Amino acid sequence: MIELKQVSKQYRVKDRQRSKLKVNAVHQVSLALCYQKSYALVGESGSGKSTLARLIMGIEKPTNGEICLDGRNIALMRSRELRLKRAEVQMVLQNAQSALDPRLSAYDSIAEPIRCLTKTDKSGERSKVFEFAEKVRLTSEQLRRLPHELSGGQQKRVCIARAMSVSPKFIVFDEAVSGLDVTVRKEILDLILQLKKDGIGAFLFITHDIDVALYMADQLFVMKDGSIVEWIENAASYDDFHHEYSRQLIQSLPPKSPNYRKESVNR
Amino acid sequence: MIKKLLKSKQAMIGLTLIVLVTLVALWAPLIAPHDPNKIDVLNRFMSASSQYPLGTDQLGRCVLSRLLIGASYSLGIAVPTLLVLGIVGLTLGTASAYVGMRWERVFLSICDIFMAFPALVIVLSLIGALGQGLLSILLAVAFSLWAWFAKVVWSYARMEISKDYILAAKIAGCSDRRIILYHIIPNIFPQFLVYLSTGIAGMIIMISGFSFLGLGFEAGTPEWGAMLNEARSNFYSHPELVFYPGLCVLITAAGFNLFGEALRDMISPEEVNE
Repeated sequence: MIELKQVSKQYRVKDRQRSKLKVNAVHQVSLALCYQKSYALVGESGSGKSTLARLIMGIEKPTNGEICLDGRNIALMRSRELRLKRAEVQMVLQNAQSALDPRLSAYDSIAEPIRCLTKTDKSGERSKVFEFAEKVRLTSEQLRRLPHELSGGQQKRVCIARAMSVSPKFIVFDEAVSGLDVTVRKEILDLILQLKKDGIGAFLFITHDIDVALYMADQLFVMKDGSIVEWIENAASYDDFHHEYSRQLIQSLPPKSPNYRKESVNR
Repeated sequence: MIKKLLKSKQAMIGLTLIVLVTLVALWAPLIAPHDPNKIDVLNRFMSASSQYPLGTDQLGRCVLSRLLIGASYSLGIAVPTLLVLGIVGLTLGTASAYVGMRWERVFLSICDIFMAFPALVIVLSLIGALGQGLLSILLAVAFSLWAWFAKVVWSYARMEISKDYILAAKIAGCSDRRIILYHIIPNIFPQFLVYLSTGIAGMIIMISGFSFLGLGFEAGTPEWGAMLNEARSNFYSHPELVFYPGLCVLITAAGFNLFGEALRDMISPEEVNE
């Protein structure tokens, strides 16, 4: 169980006159995420989605409020304890290419969490890496390659296998499909859903695309300017969104048929 | 990478020069035809002959032998100093970039203070305090150059640390030590190697420069810079005595520079990913 209680995160930035400004990236967010369900978080760029993900992972400390993993406040954890918690809560970063060490082969990247977080011997590690590589459909030949020798979709799959390799209870996907081809995108989304069925536990899917969010999860959060403005359980269609901002997000989706084109241009 | 290196003409010329100078430095006592310090006043300023292949200098010492021994002085000082500086730079630079915050600022200010002093001022004050000798030269070089090395490493490390894969390594549960040793250092090492190999040329010139000014070495040491200085007074009558040691400094420095720059061209940004 991941609980966020009144969590806020402020950044201090300097504007052009070099005077200090405070930016509320996340403002008074309270959430409870359990390890059985799938969640999606929707919002426009700059709404604080990624910051929220970083807060959950304990990469950044909240300015106010507390974040608890299984009842333990992560701000009070020692760095070693927090490190070992990573075996339970994992994250897939937004940009797969830069999230992989350019000098490590796909195999080593996937094996890294196993080496760092579990006490597995070489042969156990090997079988685990191959097991998860097979799940994300990477061949053993591809595992030997370096990140730049893999395509964008393959890099993403390496990242997903890497996050899964320690069998975490919860995975945060930060913009897992942005920047990918439409075909590859569907493939990755289906892969994640399939993995969920096979029991990777639960996930939080962060996206700016409301269609993807609907496709991926039944618990939806809509975020705007650092606050959660709407929380929908078991969302099935656009009609379930009621908040003004959510409606606005839906309205700004491009229409599915060219017949609407004229209409929206004339307006 | 190694294949590319073998194909590059510039790198191979540089490497040949480096190997040549290194071999000479290692074998100098064996291949030198005469004792480089043996004074023979009767045979001053002899021109090249079979006995003295490059002739003799103003005190009748064999020029070739002195030049050969000189190589071991230049490399013998520059290479160990460089290794020490490299290790110091790598440790301090990556550590401060990784720890960040206040420590990083303290580190950078200290570097700036050290970089503000010219090496010559430091070597003069050290020789004033410790007296003439190799130790003063070594300390002076280390004192004036460590900040440059550390700051360069810092800037490389800073750039790597801001990349996502370091964050991903943290999420993967890597300890700080593992992140520094397995991720940051291997990724900055190629660039760092380039910096070292171009840095060594500067260091050789610096050391010769000091001894040209009569700092560090005892009079009569067969060091290239010192030989240049001694030959200076006879420049108009015997210019070749200035020419030979100058050429040696040039060849050595050029070797390291050519090689280092060829290496740098090879590790241009888009190829760092290889």
